Amino acid sequence: MEKVLTDFVKALRNSNVRVSPAETLDAMSVIDEIGYDDRDLLKRSLSIVLPKTPHEKEKFETCFDDFFADEIKEQVPISLKELKDIDDVESDLAKNLLQGSQAELMIAIADAAEAAEIREIRYFTQRSVFTRRILEKMGVGKLEDELMQIGSAREEDLPSDLEQELRNQLTGLRERVSDYVQQQFLLHGDVSGEQLREQVFKTMNMAQIDRSYLHEVHSLVRRMAKKLANLHSRRKKNFRRGKLDIRKTLRENWVNQGVLFNLSWAYKKVDRPKIYVICDVSGSVGAYARFMLMFLFSLTEVVSKLRAFVFSSNLGEVTDEFKDSNLDVAIETALQKHGGGSTDYGQALTDFVSLCIDEIDKKTTVVILGDARNNFGPEKAHLMKVINERSKQVFWLNPEGKYRWDTGDSVMTTYSAYCTKVFQCGNIEQLERVISTLLKTAI
Amino acid sequence: MSDGPKKTINKITKGFAKHGYICSDQISTAVYLASELEKPILIEGPPGVGKTELANTAAMYFKKELVRLQCYEGLDESKALYEWRYGKQLLYTQILKEQMQEVLEGAKGLKESLGRLMKFEDIFFSEDFLETRPLLKALTSEKGTVLLIDEVDKSDEEFEALLLEILSEFQISIPELGVREAKVKPLVMLTSNNSREIGDALKRRCLHLYIPFPDAKLERQIVQARVPEISESMQIQLVNFVQGIRELDLKKQPAISETIDWAKTLILLNSEELEAKLAEETLKILLKHQQDIEVVKKEIPALISNATETSDGKSIN
Repeated sequence: MEKVLTDFVKALRNSNVRVSPAETLDAMSVIDEIGYDDRDLLKRSLSIVLPKTPHEKEKFETCFDDFFADEIKEQVPISLKELKDIDDVESDLAKNLLQGSQAELMIAIADAAEAAEIREIRYFTQRSVFTRRILEKMGVGKLEDELMQIGSAREEDLPSDLEQELRNQLTGLRERVSDYVQQQFLLHGDVSGEQLREQVFKTMNMAQIDRSYLHEVHSLVRRMAKKLANLHSRRKKNFRRGKLDIRKTLRENWVNQGVLFNLSWAYKKVDRPKIYVICDVSGSVGAYARFMLMFLFSLTEVVSKLRAFVFSSNLGEVTDEFKDSNLDVAIETALQKHGGGSTDYGQALTDFVSLCIDEIDKKTTVVILGDARNNFGPEKAHLMKVINERSKQVFWLNPEGKYRWDTGDSVMTTYSAYCTKVFQCGNIEQLERVISTLLKTAI
Repeated sequence: MSDGPKKTINKITKGFAKHGYICSDQISTAVYLASELEKPILIEGPPGVGKTELANTAAMYFKKELVRLQCYEGLDESKALYEWRYGKQLLYTQILKEQMQEVLEGAKGLKESLGRLMKFEDIFFSEDFLETRPLLKALTSEKGTVLLIDEVDKSDEEFEALLLEILSEFQISIPELGVREAKVKPLVMLTSNNSREIGDALKRRCLHLYIPFPDAKLERQIVQARVPEISESMQIQLVNFVQGIRELDLKKQPAISETIDWAKTLILLNSEELEAKLAEETLKILLKHQQDIEVVKKEIPALISNATETSDGKSIN
């Protein structure tokens, strides 16, 4: 019975529910307590022990139902007494089907599956391929040939009992193999297809991801942003003033005969990053703008002190829109209000400086998202210098590949002189690296 | 356990109902497993679905004392575990100085004085000077307790790490005194509103119970248990109305506690039927954001007609 549980845990892990060995042990002791008899109770109990987030619980539900689906279909019973010519069949498979026991047949399926390398199954589209491969290994080809022969040899219209029986058995076998493959897929495959999708999305150029996948990408980006923000947002700084830690002071000064000589402080100060993001949403980065805004939106969800600005020629603040509404509305309004026009970095920088240069201090990180294509307009690089001098650091994220920087109307080098760091940020993997650096150093 | 698990679970459901807490099978199974496996439960769910109340009721049901620890940012071990009584310790050092004279009187040489000092009991760091805080109190209780660690997501990560030892081994290490083990293992419940992700290490040590908003049937039972004076037709309409609201896109969905408050309000206003005007006026109790109120206001007629229709169509259970 333990095998059943460990297999189930394996299937769970395949559908992206994280289960640690210790949790498997917990599940084991739960099963000791309640037994396997009551399916509902088992499901309820295991759903308390194994999945640990609402999201995982949903996956657990489907996985449980799939895994503990009704037992494998019974072999079609053979009416042996009617078959006089049972010894006439030639192929091994046919003999096995007609005379072998259930167990023998199962073993034969398992062996054939092993030979077909069922362990390599990853995606649900491969199921039929593997079913066919297993059937081939079991010698279905020969059996079919034999059936053809029997069929063509017969004289009357109706198929003989033997032929009929063999056909029935063959259909039964096909079903069983397909069930077997399904089970193995749960064990070895990428059940939800999520891993594959995520991998593809992560390395795909953001401009090329179809808009219908926007939401899936968003959940990916958001999860990433949340994870990173959790990791970095609670770093504490040591301070030399504040509340006295009496216990520590007393313990340390016991050596001084209880005279409070060295003071210890309960230093705790959570420093949260203060981030200003300026995002280009003009025509030249149109394809990227959505993802840039999505990234911006995810950041406003996880970082509390963040102000967001978008521009194509004139700059506008969108912090409130992003905080209050949902992703679609926020992105649409931002694009409608400010997007689509021709780029003017000079004007945008002027607006930014006049809007909030006073609020930028040595704790502030300024992030600029854009391709630095300025339509040959005035660059006003001196404003970048001002921003750079007042802030802690300036990051520039450019969605274009490095080889395209400084070509045509791009003035990347002019601006990058005043940036602490410049990143190429064309796909989600790069974005993840950038957010990590950002949060690590923004504190 | 002489009874089968199923019987015990039913017993828990009934016992909880007696104390006015209607729980789903999922909840009673979790309580059963927690008490059998002696593992803490981490309870998550939207605010107002009765997470804290579950611990209260469990304490009443198991007839154990409830020890509650409210978490907040900056909570540390001196407020959660134990604290030394500094005032008394300082007094003690003063007394010690005077007593020293008597103890050392007549001692010749350094060696003898030291020998006498060594015989002297060291009580500076002892139970006498220890102030117990909730966590230590829950462990040292003779009769066993229900320990509620409320809103653990509000605390710092350091505090979470502190909890690990208590939750997995049911013991606390006090540097000066050594390890204190639980006399009777407490039933531990942690609640979280998910304002931040709880660490995996903590999650791994706990059973995990997610309490969602209840379905209509369960919510009716809860309203019936909490507000028994409500008429049946009113109760059905009210619950259907609230269930309808939850399907709208709102900032904060009304929870069970709000449904109950609303039911009480309507009783107080002596209303027998759910009317549009009344609903509009009392909407504030159900919804806490002005934006939400405006969204729902537009939908009130549809919601009410839906609520009364379904109540005519099928009777409860």
